[in-house]
Amino acid sequence: MFAYTIRKLAYNVPVFLTIILLVMLALRVNDPVYSFLGKNAKPEDVIKKREQIGLDQPFPIQYGTFLTTFDMKTESWGQPGSTVGEMLSDSVWPSLSITLPTLLLTTAISMVIGLISAFFRGTWIDRSLVFFAVLGMSVSFLVYIIFGQYYGAYRLNEATGLNLFAISGYESGPQNWFHYCCLPVLIGVIVGMGYDTRFYRAVMVEESQKEYITTALAKGASKSKVMFAHMLKNAMIPIITRIAISLPFLIAGSILLETFFGIPGMGRTLITAVRAKDFPVVQGFTAIFAGIYILTIILTDILYALVDPRVRLS
Amino acid sequence: MIRRWWKRRDVRKFLANKLAVISLLLVGIYVLTAVLVSGFGFVPREDCFRIVGPKSSAPAFAGASGLEERVRQAEFYVDRVQNGLEQHEKWRKRERRKGGFTEEQESEALETLLNDIALGELRIVEKSADELQESLDEAWDIYDELEAEEIKDTPETFEQVEKLEAIAAGLYQTPTGRDGMRRNIETFLGTDNQGRSIFIRALYSIAVAMKVGIVVGLISVIIGSILGGAAGYFGGIVDTLITWLFTTFSSIPSLVMLVLLAYMFTGSQFEGTLVPLYIAFIATYWIGPCRQIRGETLKIKQLEYVQAAQALGLNRFTILLRHILPNAVHLMLINFSLLFIGAIKGEVILTYLGLGLKPGAGTSWGIMISQSRPEVIQGFFWQIGTATFLMFILVLAFNILSDALQDAFDPKSL
Repeated sequence: MFAYTIRKLAYNVPVFLTIILLVMLALRVNDPVYSFLGKNAKPEDVIKKREQIGLDQPFPIQYGTFLTTFDMKTESWGQPGSTVGEMLSDSVWPSLSITLPTLLLTTAISMVIGLISAFFRGTWIDRSLVFFAVLGMSVSFLVYIIFGQYYGAYRLNEATGLNLFAISGYESGPQNWFHYCCLPVLIGVIVGMGYDTRFYRAVMVEESQKEYITTALAKGASKSKVMFAHMLKNAMIPIITRIAISLPFLIAGSILLETFFGIPGMGRTLITAVRAKDFPVVQGFTAIFAGIYILTIILTDILYALVDPRVRLS
Repeated sequence: MIRRWWKRRDVRKFLANKLAVISLLLVGIYVLTAVLVSGFGFVPREDCFRIVGPKSSAPAFAGASGLEERVRQAEFYVDRVQNGLEQHEKWRKRERRKGGFTEEQESEALETLLNDIALGELRIVEKSADELQESLDEAWDIYDELEAEEIKDTPETFEQVEKLEAIAAGLYQTPTGRDGMRRNIETFLGTDNQGRSIFIRALYSIAVAMKVGIVVGLISVIIGSILGGAAGYFGGIVDTLITWLFTTFSSIPSLVMLVLLAYMFTGSQFEGTLVPLYIAFIATYWIGPCRQIRGETLKIKQLEYVQAAQALGLNRFTILLRHILPNAVHLMLINFSLLFIGAIKGEVILTYLGLGLKPGAGTSWGIMISQSRPEVIQGFFWQIGTATFLMFILVLAFNILSDALQDAFDPKSL
């Protein structure tokens, strides 16, 4: 197991280095200083800005410097006064307070619906569940958000007179969570459910066609016991993988939900930075996202190997 | 493979699925619309920006609107002509300062001005400025009377509103024939909050969406298939390189990658066009087909017919292109339909985030949906409804299609 972990880590180091290289190159295709200052910038301003950020140095040196510091101490261009690191740590919690509940709820609900669908496979219950999942998948995320905000916050507040859900905005603290974050989480769950339900149903159906299920049924075990006791355990491998794969999105956050509901999470910070041509923030954030993403991929592989020992040998 | 394809088991199975056939027909209709709109120029880009009526007006078939709404619409039509005349007055003053003008010049100037303010196919009647002003004054009198107090549902107000509408209608020529048809098309689904035709914009958006879907889907699948096939068949260093390449690319969260590429294009000549969208999507989407086709090629490679081809001494590229990849066509089809959906849905999200097509460069469902947010707050759903409905049908059809394809090509299910 130890050797496997080391091998995975070693394999991913060059991957990470390449990603950083690609990110840095992509951000330098158009001169970031020029696009920030505009076409009419004074030459001395450009030179000053370039020196400040270290863009005047040769690329290998920039690459080396970035790999050691990740620009965390660099001041943001769009929001002078705060460093990239500060912006990152400020936006982590708002992001997590949306994405973590969304992931947990989506997984739990979709798994239950997927199981029900697989249990009643071929009947009208299964068919209508699949049908609704496909219908739900066919509507744009943005439409869910616009209508969710309109009916869930605006019209509901108007009709009941209670200020139940905020239309947009954010305040930290657990007592404020329900007011600001509940609606985005619900919308996120509804959007994610269509795809996840179909995925979990497919997993369960695939599992239910295996021979050990036939054996268990032949021995006289009840259908529901086979479904929940035998099958769910074995279906855990793809389920764990699926959850692990969506973990990085917890960090990157749901960019769309955050921008729409005005939640100052990481996704919104990144988008604001892109719009403001805030080079240090875009570079730092994307590099950190990629790093976290790779770490979770490694973690998934290790988890996978723990659950299924066959993986380790291949 | 090509000969008698309609007799293949998977094709027959696909055709037996009624829902799938209906979906295929629907997709066909969309393709046809896109070709007509874009290829034959039925809807030129300028038409998307033409003002054809009052702001946020519901279509005629939605039923009679309230009196207040009718007054608002009539006022728009009157006001438009009034604006034109005021500009004409300015022109007269300017010319007088310059040293007079002939009557001919004046009528010519008026004509171009009135042509400029025509609402799509709805042109202003050919009358002199004074005659027009006369009807305008009459209209304003009624309008002021109506606005003086709250509009109530009494027979007298009703009559007055009708009168106002009649005057407003009298200011414009009734389009007939082909123009009349175009006018009906323009007002078919009402107007958005800038007075532009929703239906025309939706039609143009169909072409944009099909372009995005087909370009992204096709190129991603082609790149993915060639790289995946090469990695699987040649093995060795080629495989290592390509595997490493897609691991690297897939290690960047896709939305972050899209954002990054969009940033890359800011300030370049392609900013605000579809090109950054294409590149961003293709850069993230080629990985899926590549991975799957690589796996499939590894399987096919070991089949006897490939060994036979090798024994015959065929070129390795020939074997890959003519004997292996055609047998992975089902994977390409499935991936194409999945990526098509992904691209269309992604376009909406990126456009909302301000990274896609810019509103000045045309229109798309993403632009329509993003722009309809203030309308929704006012309770006007025609724009968002149209864009969502058209997109919903297309994505639903492709979802059903990809499911049917997966079923048809799955050897396990009979």
